[in-house]
Amino acid sequence: MAVVEPAPSFSLSPEVDEAEARAGGRGRRWRSQLGTWIPAGMIAFVLVACFLGPTLLSLPSPVGGSVLESNQPAFSPGHVLGTDPNGNDILSRLLHGGQSSLWIALAVNLLGLVVGGTLGALSGYVGGWVDTAIMRVLDVLIAFPSLVLTLAVAQALGPSMTNTIFALAFFSIPAFARLARSAVLRLREMPFMAAAQLAGTSPSRMLFKHLAPNIAPQLITFGMLGMGIVIIIEGALSFLGLGIPDPAPSWGNMVATGQLSLSATPMLVVWPSLALLVTVLAFNLLGENLRARWSGR
Amino acid sequence: MKQRTILSLLTAAALALSACGGGGDSGGSASGGTGGPVGEPQQGGELTVLEDAAFAGSWPAGLDPATNTTGGSNIAMNQAIFGGLFLLRADDDGSNARVEGHQAESYEMSEDGTSFTIKLRDGIEFSDGTPLDAEAVRANWERALANACTCKPNWPLAENGIQVVDPLTISLTFTRPFPAILASFPTSNVNWIASPTALQQMGEDAFKIKPVGAGPFTVVDNQLSSVLELEKNPNYFKEGLPYLDELTFQSIGGDQPAYQALQAGQAQAYEGLNTTPLLEQAQANGQMQVTIQPATSPYVVQLNTEIAPFNDPRAREAIYRATDFDAINEGIFGGNYEVSQGFTAPGGKFYHAEVEGYPEYDLDRAKELVQELGGLTVNLGTISNYVATQINTALQTQWQEAGIDVTIEDSQLSGVIQKFTGGQWQAMLQTAGAWDPAAGVGVGFRFNSGVPYSGVNDPALDQLLADASSTVDEAQRDDLYQQAAELIAQNFYAPFGLAFAPANLAAAGVHGPGLTTKIPPLLVNTGVIWDEVWREQ
Amino acid sequence: MTATATPRVPVSRDPRVSPLSRLTASPVLRLVVKRLLMAIPIMLGVTVLTFWVLSLIPGNAAQQLLGPEATPEDIALLEQQLGLDKPGVVRYFDWLQGAVTGDLGNSLVSRQPVSEILSARLPVTAELVFLAFVVSLVLAVPVALLAAHKPGGVMDRISMMISTLGLSVANYVLALLLVLVFAVSLGWLPAIGYTPLEDGLWANLRGMILPSAAIGFPLFCYYTRFLRGDLVDQMQQEEYVTTARAKGVGSWAVLIKHAFRNSSFGLITIVGLNLGALIGGTVIIEQIFALPGIGQMLLQAINTRDFVVVQAAVVIFALVAVVANLVVDLLYAVLDPRIRYGSR
Repeated sequence: MAVVEPAPSFSLSPEVDEAEARAGGRGRRWRSQLGTWIPAGMIAFVLVACFLGPTLLSLPSPVGGSVLESNQPAFSPGHVLGTDPNGNDILSRLLHGGQSSLWIALAVNLLGLVVGGTLGALSGYVGGWVDTAIMRVLDVLIAFPSLVLTLAVAQALGPSMTNTIFALAFFSIPAFARLARSAVLRLREMPFMAAAQLAGTSPSRMLFKHLAPNIAPQLITFGMLGMGIVIIIEGALSFLGLGIPDPAPSWGNMVATGQLSLSATPMLVVWPSLALLVTVLAFNLLGENLRARWSGR
Repeated sequence: MKQRTILSLLTAAALALSACGGGGDSGGSASGGTGGPVGEPQQGGELTVLEDAAFAGSWPAGLDPATNTTGGSNIAMNQAIFGGLFLLRADDDGSNARVEGHQAESYEMSEDGTSFTIKLRDGIEFSDGTPLDAEAVRANWERALANACTCKPNWPLAENGIQVVDPLTISLTFTRPFPAILASFPTSNVNWIASPTALQQMGEDAFKIKPVGAGPFTVVDNQLSSVLELEKNPNYFKEGLPYLDELTFQSIGGDQPAYQALQAGQAQAYEGLNTTPLLEQAQANGQMQVTIQPATSPYVVQLNTEIAPFNDPRAREAIYRATDFDAINEGIFGGNYEVSQGFTAPGGKFYHAEVEGYPEYDLDRAKELVQELGGLTVNLGTISNYVATQINTALQTQWQEAGIDVTIEDSQLSGVIQKFTGGQWQAMLQTAGAWDPAAGVGVGFRFNSGVPYSGVNDPALDQLLADASSTVDEAQRDDLYQQAAELIAQNFYAPFGLAFAPANLAAAGVHGPGLTTKIPPLLVNTGVIWDEVWREQ
Repeated sequence: MTATATPRVPVSRDPRVSPLSRLTASPVLRLVVKRLLMAIPIMLGVTVLTFWVLSLIPGNAAQQLLGPEATPEDIALLEQQLGLDKPGVVRYFDWLQGAVTGDLGNSLVSRQPVSEILSARLPVTAELVFLAFVVSLVLAVPVALLAAHKPGGVMDRISMMISTLGLSVANYVLALLLVLVFAVSLGWLPAIGYTPLEDGLWANLRGMILPSAAIGFPLFCYYTRFLRGDLVDQMQQEEYVTTARAKGVGSWAVLIKHAFRNSSFGLITIVGLNLGALIGGTVIIEQIFALPGIGQMLLQAINTRDFVVVQAAVVIFALVAVVANLVVDLLYAVLDPRIRYGSR
C-alpha cells in the first residue's frame, strides 16, 4: 500500500486530487487499487514460478537432456510441455529462462535508472557546460544505430549474461538520462523548488532530497514499460547469434532458436512468447497504473 | 486476469492458424508431384533459387573467380555464369560419381602422375564473342592461382608448370605425382574460365560485378550478397541448353524464411537446408521435393593432442568410448544419415563403412578411464550453426554421463579461427574430408602436423596421407586411406560421427541434376548443373 | 530500449539567456544553424565510436573473407591488398579525409564505390521505414483518441490488449507469422523480394506490405500506448481541460483540440527518438524478407568487417537521427510559439 499511495510531495497539482476524489468517490479508488494489485500479483506469480518453480515442482535440469527424449509432445510423462530437439524439458527451460530474462531486464533497467537517471538529473540541474558535455555524449549514443553497437559489443566481448547486460545498457542509459533531464527541467520551475533554493538548501541536498524522489516515479514507470523491450532485444541478439549463449535458456534465445524451425515446431516459440506476453502485460499494466497514481490522478 | 486469458488465447490461436498454414496445401506451382515419373525436359521459364545468407548467399567480393574470396561457397553462381571445364556428375541416386569434361573435351594424365593435359572443346565462345581457348585458360589460371582464397587449388606446380601446347590444348606439370588433379577442378576457382578480353575492357572492379563467361547464363544484374539476376546465354556451346530463360539467385536469412518463401511460391529452389525439423516436415507434407545429398564430409570431434587433457591417450579414448553418434543420429536427425568411422562418407571416394579397430561406444569403459584419470574436464567448441550446436549439446550430455565435465561453446567463424590459431583449444566439432580426400579442403587440413587447424602431430600419419595423395592407382590409394583411418582410430586421435549433408528443396515441377537428383556435395552444397535444370510449364 | 518517453511540452524556462542570443535575428534560423553546428561533433563522435567499436571485434576483413581454412600467408596477402596492414588510426583519418570531401570511399571487400552501393540500397530501406512509420502513426492517433475518450471502456481495453500483444512479440517472430498467414496460407502477398518502383506501384507496394507491417506494428503499439496514457493524464489533470469542460466544450472537442494538441509534443519527441531504432529494426527484417536494403548491407558489412561500408551506413543512420531531432525541435516551435528556440 505504502508504495502506491501517492505521497504529497509527488503530487504536482493537488487540486486535481480533490477533483478526482469528488468525481470518482470510493468505487473508483478501489478500482484503481485493484488495477495496481492485479498486475503486481501477476508479476509476483511470474517471479515465484521462475525462481522457486523449478525446485517446488522438482523439474528436470533445463540443459543436458538426452537426445533419446527429444521432441516429445506436450503432456508426455514427466514433461508437461514436452521436450525440445535436445531432449530438454520445455517447462524447465521456460522457468529457468525466465530467471535470466528477468535478471537481464532488471539489471539493464536498474543500470539505466541509476546511471542514466543521475546523469540526466545532474545535467538538467547543473546546466551549463556539464549539461552540454553530458547531453552531447548521449546524443552520440542515441544517434548511433543501437543494433550496431550492441552487435559489436557482444561480438567483441563474446556472448555472456554480463556482456549482454552491458551491451543493452547502451540503449537504456541515454533514454533514462533524457527522461530524467526533462523531468528535472520541469521541476526546477515548481514553486517548492524555488522555495527550497531560497531557503539555502545545498545542491547535493537539492538533488537527492528534492529532485530524486520527484523524478523517481516517472523513471521507475518508464523502466517497467522497458522490461519487455529489454527481454525482446535480448532475443534479437540471440537471433543474430549473440545474447545468452547456448545451452543456457532465456526467453529471448528460446524464441530465437525456436523460430529457426517455426513451421515445424511452433510450440517452441509459443511457450516463451506467452511467458513474455504475460510478463510484459503485467509490467505495462503496473507501470501505467503507477504512473497514473503518481502523476496525481 | 480475464485480459490475460483472452490475450493468451489470441496468441495461441494466431500461432495455431499459422502452424496449420505451414502444413496446408496452398503451395505455389503444384503441377506434378514428388517422386513421380519425370517427363521430357521443357524449354523456357524462370527460376528463383534461394541461398542462405550465411553461406552460399554471400558473395561480398564479387564473382570474378580470380578475386572472389568466397568462391568455395559460390559454386552455384559460378557454374551458371562460367559453365566449368569439368563437372562432377553422378547417377540419379548419387552413385557412380565421376568428374567429366564439360568445356574440356578430354584430358590425359601421364603415367607417373606428374603431368596433366587438357584438350578444350572447339568453338566455345564467351558471351562477348571472344574464343575460350588455351590462352584464355592460361590467363585465367594465372590470375586464379594468385587469389588469396581457399578456393584456389593446392597444385604442386613445377616452375612454368602451365604450358599452352596448341590453341585448344594446355598442360600442367607438377613437382610430384598429383593424381587428385582431376578431382580438384570442380571445387576450385581454376574450373571457371572468364573472358580475358572483357576483363581488360571493363577493368577488375566492374568485371567482378558483371563477369563475362561462357556458361549457360549471362549476368543481367548483380547486387552483391543480395540478388544475382541471370538470363539465358543464346550462344551457349551446348545445343538446346540451358532450358531456363531466366535464373535468379537470391540471398535469404536462413532455412525458415526460405522454406516459407518456397511454400508461398516466391522461389522454386533452395540449396543447403540444414534444419532437421523443417527437413522432416518438408518430407512429410509432400508439397515440395526434398533431395538429401549423399554426404562426403563426416563430422569429427577434433582433439588437441598437443595440450592437456588430450595429450594423454586415455583421455582421448574416454571421449571415443563416451560418444554415441548412432543415438544422436536417431534422436535428433531421425536416422536420416550414416555414421562414419573415418574421414570419408557414403557419397565420397574411398568410403568404407567400418574402420578396423575403431573404438566403439562403451560407457563403462569410458567411466573406468575417467576414474583412472581422476576426472576429465573438457571444453568443446564448434561453429555457430544449427546442426553443429545440436550435436555439441548432445555430446555434452553423453560425455557427462561418463563423468566427464564438459563446457560447450559455439562461435562465429572468426572466433573459431582464433581458437585454432591460439592453440589452446581442447576439443572442436568440425567436418573433415571431401569427395576426394586429397582435393580441396582435404583430410590433411584436420590431421596433418603443423597445420593450425589440426590437433594431431604424427609423422606416420603425415606420410600415409602424403603417399595416398600422390599415388595414381586408385586401389592403392584406397588402401592407404584405409590405413590412415585405422591409424587415427588406434591412436584415438578424433572420433568421427554423423556423415551429414544438407538437402535441396525444389518446388514441384522443377527438375535438374544435383537439385532433384543426387550428386555428392563438393564442399558443402552439391554442384547443381544449371544448364539442365528445367521447369514443367 | 527502443524509445524514450518524454513528458509533454518540454518547456524549459532557462534563466540563463545570454544577451548575445537576444540579439540574433530569426529565432528559427538560429535554431537550425545551432543544431546543424551541433551535428558536427555528434557525427564525428559517431564515426570515432564506430571505428573503435569495429576494432574491438575480433578478426578483420581479410580473415573474415578467407574463412577458417585460409593459410596465414593468404591472410597476410589479402590484408596487404585491402590496406589492412596500416595502423587503425591512419586508416580512420584516411577515411575521414575522404568523407569530409564527400568521398565515402570504396568497399574494402568488393571495391565498389560506397556511394554506388548506397544509391542502390537506400531507396529500399527508405521506403520500408517511411511506410512503417507513416502507417503506424496514422493508425496510432485515432486509436489512441478512441481509447482515451473513455478510459476503461471497450475501445480502451481492446487497444490495450492489441498493443500489449504487439509489444511482447519479437518483430522477427511477427515477421515470420505474417508470412505464414498472408503469404503461405492465404497467398495474398509475396513472402520475399523487392520489386523496384519502376515495375509498377502496386507490384512494389505488395512486396513492402508485410515487411513494413512487421516493423510498423510494434511501433503502432508503442505510439498508441504512449499517446493514450498521455491523453488520459491531460484530460484528468490539466487545468485548461477543466476550464474548457466548465465552459461546456464537448468532450471530443476537448480531447482533440486541447489534450491532443498538447500530447502531440511528447509523441513527436518519441517519434524522433524512435527513428534510429526503427532503422535498426530493418536489419533483421530485411534479412527475413530478402530485401536488398541498407540493413542487410550493414549486417553483411559487419560480418565481413568491411568498416568502410559500416561507417557509411552508420553515418547515414546517425544523420537521419540528427535531422529527425532537428525536425522535432522545429515542430515544437511551430506548434507552440511559447517555446524558446535553442533551449533544449
